[in-house]
Amino acid sequence: MSGQLIINGIVNASLIAPPAIAFSLLFGILRFPNFAIGAYVTVGAFIAYALNVGAGMPMWIAGLGAMAGTAVVVWLSDVLVFKPMRGHTPVTLLVVSIALALIIEHIIRLFYGADVRGFDLPLERPIKFAGLRITGEQIDIIVMTIVIGIAIHLLLQYTRIGKAMRATADNETLAEVRGINTSYVIAFTWFICGALFGLTGVFAGLDLVIEPLVGWYLTIPIFAAAILGGIGSPYGAMLGALLVGLAEELTVLVLPSSYKIGVGFVIIAVLLLIRPHGLLGQPEIKK
Amino acid sequence: MSAYLISMATFVGFFMILALALNLQWGMTGMVNFGIAGFYALGAYTSGLLSVKLGWPVGITIAMSCVTGLIAGGLVALLSMRLREDYLAIVTLGFGEIVRLIALNEDQITEGPRGLKIDARPFADMFDRETYPLVYLALVAAAVAVVFVIVECIRRSPMGRTLRAIREDDVVAEVLGKNVLRHRVQVFALGGAFMGLAGALYAHYVQNISPEVFMPMVAIFIWMSVIVGGAGNNWGLLLGAGVVMTILEGSRFLGDFIDFLDAEQLSAIRIIVIGVLLIAILRVRPRGLIPEPKFSFAASSTEQGRQPSTENAK
Amino acid sequence: MNRKITRRSALITGGAIAAAGVFAPSIARAADPINVGSLTPNTGGGGPFGPKITSAHKRVVDLVNSEGGVLGTTINLFQENSETNPETAVRAADKLINVNKVVGILGTWSSSVTLGIMPKCQEAGVIQMCTSSSADIPVRDEKGYVFNFQALSPVWGRAIARLALRRGFKTFNLMALNNDFTRSMMDGFTEIVGKDKLLQDSFYYNGGQSSYRSEVTQLIEKNPEAVFIPSYVTDFTSVYKEIFRQGYEGQVITVSISTGEKFKEAIGDAANGIIHGLPVPPIKSPAYAEYVTETGLEPTDGVQHPFGTAGRDQMSVLLLAIEKAGSAEADKVSKAIWDVTTGDGKETVYNVTDGLKAIRAGKEINYSGASSSVEFDKEGMVLGRDFQLAEIKDGKDVVIERLEF
Repeated sequence: MSGQLIINGIVNASLIAPPAIAFSLLFGILRFPNFAIGAYVTVGAFIAYALNVGAGMPMWIAGLGAMAGTAVVVWLSDVLVFKPMRGHTPVTLLVVSIALALIIEHIIRLFYGADVRGFDLPLERPIKFAGLRITGEQIDIIVMTIVIGIAIHLLLQYTRIGKAMRATADNETLAEVRGINTSYVIAFTWFICGALFGLTGVFAGLDLVIEPLVGWYLTIPIFAAAILGGIGSPYGAMLGALLVGLAEELTVLVLPSSYKIGVGFVIIAVLLLIRPHGLLGQPEIKK
Repeated sequence: MSAYLISMATFVGFFMILALALNLQWGMTGMVNFGIAGFYALGAYTSGLLSVKLGWPVGITIAMSCVTGLIAGGLVALLSMRLREDYLAIVTLGFGEIVRLIALNEDQITEGPRGLKIDARPFADMFDRETYPLVYLALVAAAVAVVFVIVECIRRSPMGRTLRAIREDDVVAEVLGKNVLRHRVQVFALGGAFMGLAGALYAHYVQNISPEVFMPMVAIFIWMSVIVGGAGNNWGLLLGAGVVMTILEGSRFLGDFIDFLDAEQLSAIRIIVIGVLLIAILRVRPRGLIPEPKFSFAASSTEQGRQPSTENAK
Repeated sequence: MNRKITRRSALITGGAIAAAGVFAPSIARAADPINVGSLTPNTGGGGPFGPKITSAHKRVVDLVNSEGGVLGTTINLFQENSETNPETAVRAADKLINVNKVVGILGTWSSSVTLGIMPKCQEAGVIQMCTSSSADIPVRDEKGYVFNFQALSPVWGRAIARLALRRGFKTFNLMALNNDFTRSMMDGFTEIVGKDKLLQDSFYYNGGQSSYRSEVTQLIEKNPEAVFIPSYVTDFTSVYKEIFRQGYEGQVITVSISTGEKFKEAIGDAANGIIHGLPVPPIKSPAYAEYVTETGLEPTDGVQHPFGTAGRDQMSVLLLAIEKAGSAEADKVSKAIWDVTTGDGKETVYNVTDGLKAIRAGKEINYSGASSSVEFDKEGMVLGRDFQLAEIKDGKDVVIERLEF
């Protein structure tokens, strides 16, 4: 059983890694945990659903549409809600993000209700090897996540905009002084993250079920992964996702599964107690 | 109608106690607590279980709820003393969820998802059915008053100044020779005790509690109360609790007049309105309806986020 | 409540009294007509079902009002959303009881909500009609005001188990959603099949998880011939996808509330082969046929809107009982509810219109509904709903077994 659980854990990880990277990048510029990420993911799932089932488009076009559409929604949430409130305390912004999550979730509910939905794709039977099972779709998701991880890495390390993003995350004022157009960089970051949330919505729609709370279910594992990896560190977020994904699966070996939902929290708590800045995060230097 | 108002006033009372406790922890000391539902549940279940399973008198069980809240608060504070405030938000949220999971899964003790029926009510024999809701309201009002006085006394005392110093900058407070850890643990524990008290009063009022009552949403309502009312200001958040309950409950009455929307859409709109109002209040009055009075040292604080945000008011 | 206390309370509630002025018209208006409350799970766990109950309640009230009401007066319906959350529901019930002065609160679905508002309803003398399943409901209803239109969930579990044994399955594993309804259903199932047929300990899972992979791995590890999963539709959809993806070839058995039309749309062809059971209306019942027409549904072999049908019956029974009792007092109405639903040798009616006519003509009636024939035991729990097991074939429910009571 434990072999299968490890595969399960890797699949979990590849679902939460992209949004954990996005959450981490956003945290770099926002400095508060944005609780609306779950709602962004839900938006992605519903846009993909509308394109795939509503408009009859193939899944890959629906997926790209969901990424683009969610990027716009996420960017708008900054323009309309967060940007005018920059400079408020992290906790105020956190509460605002919860309010925003409620608003988005219920706008979706207003139009779609609470029914369960799925994409127009047949469910797949697994490929079996050595008593272990994985589906082609899951392999696709894992591969895409790895590609995304590498792409984000390349973006941050080698492109002008990526370097500007890192500089802005490190110290916005200093970046501004050095001639970086930080408001452009911030908008770009929101777009990239929005696209990642949109993609996660597609993955979540494939893996779970499309309904107004689907993104919310992922929120705590995403937080756990990002915090575990060290907030602000995209590579850490990937590592964090892997550990959270595995931990949630392996829990059943030692605890009744009815406690599984608490595992993410326990990981966060224990890790923060040992390494308050995460596995790969830099300790914050108090001024 | 008046029976309804008495009942809502009682519910506002629970919110007020929770909001005062949160104000002590966060508004005055800067310690974030998103596990309010957990402390509330702990208080409710402590008092409920002691009274149902062991038959203890209600007065004692309510006191025990304060004690469990106190201990839990102290432990959470001790465990998380090194954390930044936004991390503390997630750890406390986790505390709340784990309390709920225990209430849900350990059904030999808690009755699990069936919920716990609580017959015992304070002073129930001494009054008739008609007057009892008023008696209970008076009891809750007294509890609010006691908590208010304690929190307000702390705020005005030298300890209150220390707490604000910790809130503004704990490193400076430490340098100034204040025992930051001890103050934090004390405040968090005391806040936990108040939340436990609110939980116990809630449990004996509704007489039926189940894990589903204590979802994280409760914490969000209390946060709204404190932020809307004005963090740091005890009068403000009494108003805030009233405003939040009025929005929550007042929107019910819309449904009696609007019939072109179905119930599902109406309830979606209701929550959208609550969310928009909250964001709007925070935009227009970022420091709440009744802001905390300024203290001289606050002006010298260098932390940008803590500054009364005049630049945001434009 | 006497006037003196009212005035005093007004003083005490202070600021809140301003609100009273705003809502005063609704009190004045609410004096004469009969007020009925509906408290349904329009969001939250019951979200997929609540709106159907809500609209069923409304349809019956609109119909009766258009035909002149009950006891010569119109019915005012006040509808609230419980959010499937007892914390919210208690306050909503408070509003229905104290502001709208309702005779009854109909349509609660989750047991925790039904039980959560029970102390208030009992104290205020308000009738409750629910589709909940906790065995605690009859125990805690001390005044006989609670009528449950749903069989208690151990009954579901036992019935599904009997039907499953008839199909010849020898080994089972079970996992249940972690709530009262589904947990006690699992217990009922275990009682009938016997522990020796279970390959491993049964376990619970929580809804709202980011993955159900480990649960499914655990469930199918010993490759039982059949798995039984008492669940709700949202979590079951995710769970079933995972069962399919992990290559389980045995028989999946669940409750029909998890496998409605929306489930089949979401899952597609992979849903074929699932067996599911549910207490059903006598499907040939005229009342059920009327319900299907009223809602504009396509008639199918399968059971649609299991809770919407109950919503229709709740409201019909309440209004018939009020007419029968000649009063909207809880004690009289609750007695009249037995009169109009239970007992032999009466004229059977299938809808509220016919029922009202018959009562006014001085006849004894027995209402037979769209959700069941609506006969209550002495505790107010619905008796003997038929039970059916269906298999999904080509995206449609095909009835394979039926237990009739």
